[in-house]
Amino acid sequence: MQYELRYQVIEPKRQTYQNVIDRLGDQPASRYLEATLDVEPRENFHYRPTWIKDRELYDERYSALRLTDPYSYTDPRQFYYTPYVTNRAALHDEFGKTLSYLDQRDLLTRLPGGWQAVLTSVVLPLRHYESGAQMTSVTGARFAYGTSLEQCCTFAAFDRIGNAQMLSRVGLAMGGGAGDVLDVAKQEWLAGEHMQPLRRLVEEIMVVDDWAEGLLAVDVLDSLIYPLIYSGLDESALLGGAGAYSLLAQHLTGWFADQRRWLDALVAAWAADSGNGEANRHGLAHIADTWSRRAREAVAGLATTIDGHLPEVGSATALALLADEQNARWATITGGAA
Amino acid sequence: MTGTLRQVGIDIQESEENRALVDAIKADNPELTIRHLPGLVKLQAAGQITINRRTVEEKLGHDWETGEFQLAIVSYAGNFSEWDDDQIIVKWEH
Repeated sequence: MQYELRYQVIEPKRQTYQNVIDRLGDQPASRYLEATLDVEPRENFHYRPTWIKDRELYDERYSALRLTDPYSYTDPRQFYYTPYVTNRAALHDEFGKTLSYLDQRDLLTRLPGGWQAVLTSVVLPLRHYESGAQMTSVTGARFAYGTSLEQCCTFAAFDRIGNAQMLSRVGLAMGGGAGDVLDVAKQEWLAGEHMQPLRRLVEEIMVVDDWAEGLLAVDVLDSLIYPLIYSGLDESALLGGAGAYSLLAQHLTGWFADQRRWLDALVAAWAADSGNGEANRHGLAHIADTWSRRAREAVAGLATTIDGHLPEVGSATALALLADEQNARWATITGGAA
Repeated sequence: MTGTLRQVGIDIQESEENRALVDAIKADNPELTIRHLPGLVKLQAAGQITINRRTVEEKLGHDWETGEFQLAIVSYAGNFSEWDDDQIIVKWEH
């Protein structure tokens, strides 16, 4: 008696969803593409927004920066719900471990005086800055044209809540579980003289109509604040007996590197777009022009305060370097268009 | 040795993660033939198959270590003539 083993292949009627087939043909595609391509509606809107008569609910005219085909841009990280959540859960897990290590050894309360002051007067108030940045990202999430752009903004908005939460947890740990330090930090944000230019700028960015301009204006600020406050203080922290700060700041530096990946790719896509490249480069140059000088002035207050508490850091010099670097970067992107 | 090249092959388990890996191998090895079997993707090429970490990471959208290739393969025909941090090369060595 002999058995013959055979297998039978049942070909699926279709390999993927119609939205993917329309663009890439009938072949297996990644979950990211399935959940992204042409998902946002483009036609047959039943209602116009009552608050702006000449626009559709989803409309590319909500921004001066446009892509001929919004799906020519895709998120380099290929984030959709599951990978995003898994990735950020891991990030906050790591952060939690760092924090409990510091907590068990009382390393935050034993920070040198200058560093304590920098944390309460400069770093912790930034959780309110994160909150403003979250609002601008949410605007992008609502008004960006194309799911590929919109979902990056959505995730960025949630990231900001996460960043604010990390800072809050540091504040709680510093206050031994109570919110006193956070209260002081909030007062600094609301009334501290060094914080007011930044607060004013963030609030002005929050009411910018063009979602992309708002997003990039925050990014202009981020590009100064993150390298200056988080990665920039790292070495002085390690040498100055404030290793605890370095351990915490690494997580925010890590987040910023991740943020750069999708945003840099998006800016590059805008600048290189086949149909709107020229107009986009002008738009980008205009944005850089409008916000970079103001961003530098706003962050200068923070740098001066840091230098006041920790003269060895040289934040003001570092800020000048960062601002020049940023201007050069924008000039390369826009190719001198103005 | 004659001029004919022997076939090397890699069998990869079919899954969401591995699809990007197959795409990357396809991009780096233009001569590749791909056969889909139930739950399995058979890759074959004459001479050698190269897998570059950089291409895989680009297709995947996140970091990937060449060691993770172990998790994807079911079987292979050929020798791993190189397996370092950046590249895996499968070819016959004798």
